[in-house]
Parts: sequence; C-alpha cells; structure tokens
Amino acid sequence: MTMASASTPTVATPVAAHARIDTAGLAEKITLRNLEFFYGDSRALKGISMSLYANKATAFIGPSGCGKSTLLRVLNRMYDLYPGQRATGQVLFDGDNLLKDDQDINLLRARIGMVFQKPTPFPMTIYENVAFGIRLYEKLPKSELDGRVETALRRAAIWDEVKDKLNANGQSLSGGQQQRLCIARTVAVKPEVILFDEPCSALDPISTAKIEELIDELKKDYTIVIVTHNMQQAARVSDFTAFMYLGELVEFGATETLFTTPKDKRTQAYITGRFG
Amino acid sequence: MAAGERDVSEVVLKDTRVTASEAASRSAVLKRLRLTDTIFHGLTRTAALTVLALLSGVIIALVIGAAPALGTFGFSFFFDESWNPVTEKFGALAPIYGTLVTSAIAMLIAVPVGLMIAFFLTELCPKVLRRPIGIAIELLAGIPSIIYGIWGLFVFAPFVQQYFQPFMIDTFANVPILSTLFAGPPYGIGMFTAGLILAIMVLPFVTSISRDVFDAVPPVLKEAAYGVGCTTWEVFRYVVLPFTRVGVIGGFMLGLGRALGETMAVTFVIGNAHHVSASLFAPGTTISASIANEFTEAVGDLYTSSLIALGLILFFITFCVLAMARYMLMRLQKQAG
Repeated sequence: MTMASASTPTVATPVAAHARIDTAGLAEKITLRNLEFFYGDSRALKGISMSLYANKATAFIGPSGCGKSTLLRVLNRMYDLYPGQRATGQVLFDGDNLLKDDQDINLLRARIGMVFQKPTPFPMTIYENVAFGIRLYEKLPKSELDGRVETALRRAAIWDEVKDKLNANGQSLSGGQQQRLCIARTVAVKPEVILFDEPCSALDPISTAKIEELIDELKKDYTIVIVTHNMQQAARVSDFTAFMYLGELVEFGATETLFTTPKDKRTQAYITGRFG
Repeated sequence: MAAGERDVSEVVLKDTRVTASEAASRSAVLKRLRLTDTIFHGLTRTAALTVLALLSGVIIALVIGAAPALGTFGFSFFFDESWNPVTEKFGALAPIYGTLVTSAIAMLIAVPVGLMIAFFLTELCPKVLRRPIGIAIELLAGIPSIIYGIWGLFVFAPFVQQYFQPFMIDTFANVPILSTLFAGPPYGIGMFTAGLILAIMVLPFVTSISRDVFDAVPPVLKEAAYGVGCTTWEVFRYVVLPFTRVGVIGGFMLGLGRALGETMAVTFVIGNAHHVSASLFAPGTTISASIANEFTEAVGDLYTSSLIALGLILFFITFCVLAMARYMLMRLQKQAG
C-alpha cells in the first residue's frame, strides 16, 4: 500500500480498504462491480467495486482528476454523448446492469437525475424550467402540473422566493437560486437517485448552506450521490464517503469512520490536507 | 510564508519610488504617446464618419435619380404592374412581388435545412465527417453567383422543367390553393427555380452562423437537458434553439439580405417577365434582375429614372429587413434580461 503502487500500470483490481460497514437496514440502490472507464486509451477508473445505499448520501472526495466526476457521469450514462468514451464492468441499478447496450438512456436519466457544478437553468421561464422535465414523460392537466411544479419548487426550498415571478426567465435568478431551481427541476421528474457534481463550487457560503440543508432533506426520499472538493461539506452532508485517488477507489466507509480513523495512508494524508 | 509575503511588498514599494530624472524622461515619453494617441483617435473617427457620409451619399443619389419617375407616376408606381418602355409607362409591382416571393421561397427552404445541417455538425456528426462537410459549406458560399446562374440555366432549370414541375403540377392539380401555386406550363425558368437557386446560395450563411452559435452553447447546459431525459430533438428544440435564437435570427436576416439583393443568378433563371402571377412556376422578375437586365437599353430619362426608383425601393426593403432584425434582437435581449 505505498504511493508507488498507485502509478504502476497493474491490471489487477486494486482493492479498497473498507472499514467495516454495518449493512443492517441498508438497501443497495446501485452496485458497482469492477467498473473501468476509458477516455480513448487512457484508463480513468480502475476496477471500482462498491455500493451506493438507498436513502443515504454518499460523498466522493479526492484530488482533481481522480475520477470522481467521471464516476458520476457513468451512473447516468452521460459519457454516451461523447464518442471514444466507454465503460466496462457492471453498474447494477436495482439489480439491472445499466451499462448494457439496450438500456433506454433517456428513461435512465429521468430515473437518475443530475445537478451540475454550474447552475444550468434552461432558456425559459422559471415555471417552464420545472414543468419541462415533467412534460417529457407525463401528460398532466394544467392544475395538476401547477401542483407538481409548486411541490418541486417547495422541495428545493425556493418556492417563497419565486412564487410571485414564475414567468420570469430562469436565467434572471441569482446563482444560488438558479442552482436550487435546477434541483427543483431534477426533483420534479421524480427520480430515484440524484447525482450532485460539486453543486456548491460556484456558490457563496449562504447559498451553499441552503443547498446542504436541502440535500439532507432530500435524503429521505432519494438516494444521493455527491462529488465535492470540500471535505467539510462531505463530512456534513454524507452518510458514506469514498476517497478516490488516480482512478482508484482507495477507501470507502461510513463518513464518521473515514474522517476520524482512515485505514489508508493516502486517505489520511488527503483529509489532513497534506496533498491534493 | 508570512516573511515571504513581506519581501514581495518591499520589492514593489522600492520599484514605485520615482527619482526626479526618471520623472522628467517619463513625462517626455507620455507627451509623445499622447500625440500618437490623438492622431489615432482622429483616424478612427474619420474612418467611422466616412461610412456615414457614403451611406447618405448613396441615399441622396438614389432619391435624386428616382425623383422624375416618382414625380410622374406618384404612388401608383408601387402598385402598377405594367412596364412598357415604348409608351413609357412604368410600375414596380412585378419586380417587388418577384423579389419578395423568390426570397420567401429561398428562406423557407434554406432555414430549416441550414439549421439541421448546423445541428448535425455540432452535435451528431462523427469527427471524420465534420471537417469535410464544414468546408463544403464554406466553399458553397465561395462560388461566384454567375456560376450559379449558368448552372441554373443550363443544368438545373431543364431538370426542374422535366421532372419536378410536371410532378408538382400533376400532384396538386386538385388541391384548392396549391393548384394555383403550382400551375401552368412547366417552363423550367421562373420564380420557383430562382427561389431554389437562391436557397442554395443562402444556405451557407444560415448554416455557418447557426453552427457557430450552436457551438457556443455551454456543453453543461445540453448535458443538463439530456440529464432530465430529453431526446436529441427535444434538446435541440427546447434548449439549443431558444438559447441561440438571437444568433440564429441574425443568420436568417443576413441570408435574407443576400436573397433580396442577389442579381446575377436570379437574372439567369427567373425569366425576366414583368408579370405578377399567382403560379410560382411562372416567369417573373426581381428588382435587381430588372435593373441589371435593362440598364443598357434604358434610353429615355423616365426609363432610367424608373430603374433607379426600383433601386431605391430595394434599398428601402433591405433597410427595413435590417431594422426589423435589430428590433427583434433588441427585444429578445431585453426579454432575456
């Protein structure tokens, strides 16, 4: 378990140091089995095996370029948009391998929602931003649609701020509001899993606090996966934390255990701020 | 760390201290720079004002030239179809009509096709094909219009006459409105053929501008749309197109400007008949085609003046199109906040 072993191109599956996880009462929502990912010829993920538990928040931490965002983009097959990127291994979503070729990708992305690093409101009104995703899959009468939009906006803790200007352009909101609007949009489609890709890195501390509070709230209904550069954030919002380094899953365990008694020297070095 | 920072600030302070001799040479340099700057200002202002002078010069010349014709025929010049050099009775209705109809046909075809090409190039195209198609589009814009004219007259018009027009006339013979639009003997040359040629000529403008603005859509926005489960079409229709509408309208207007003013290719294939006919297959004329065709044989003063009046009308139409484009862009930008 030395630093050198990380850079040698071994094909053998690196085994993560797992702290014992008390799996009682936990349901596996997504299970990764020996997941590998390639950008052309370069291997960005190396034999990742782990579980994401239902109604829990799992955080991925690690230095830039370690593969955390890549892993997130595998989970909703976002990499499919780009030629030359491919994944091998298995990603079982409720027991169903979502990497298989005949997977309905549009449906998958509706079931596994994603919130991006930068707020990405669509060029339409606030109301339409939320209603848009719902309309893709459901034909609802106006009154019911209104209700769904309101519920989603309430869930994203932004209803009070926008209820009087639902017809304003989504891009006219502040950054933090835009990000919560995007969360509302994601929630509105009723996904089962929500992926957060550094959702607060473009936001001020107050907005960040709001979003973190929100993630905590959303956990009750959804399985949350969050990639973050901010270790305090990982410690605050997540139940489980995975530390990745150079495309490997180095350590995975309950957040408390991982931050207080890391098993791997690299994890310890990273969380104490000695590299990365 | 703290010690290092203090060092840096000391160096900066030392450098900003200015001695007396340094100050003198510095003011000399500044004076020299100020002179060049003044000259530069003057040059840029002159260049900018020249444009204004040229524009007003053109307008004034057109108005003076058109005055006899407009004075003789008055408002009826705009609504009169007759164009008779022998009796010296002129009306601009046929050329205006031809100009608008051919441009409309061109835009109806070029805009959807151009948008589709642009979206394919930016989103769906395999890397290998991207450059060849992109270059082909740009080359299409580089073909001189006289070549389109020759090709249109000798190759395209006969083809349209032999295959396309008979097919359309037969197919829509019993459909109320369409039977009027696609009626008459298949001449080959006519407003429809001119519109098609114009569409081909305008296509590169619409395509390359749309491609550039589509490229400017942040990838993460498209990913977010795909992320809620959109299909490619839905991403195009609801995210890419609204996001880029300002640029797309700009490309549309540029293309329309080109279609309205295009002369050579149209003159070859439109038939040059001063008639207003409901059928798109009938020969007609456009403003620029009339001017190009008849300037050499315009003997009477009134004849020449009528042609210049046509030019003034074209100028006015193009100006309106541009003004409308500006206005729409302004409104869209205001809407977007």
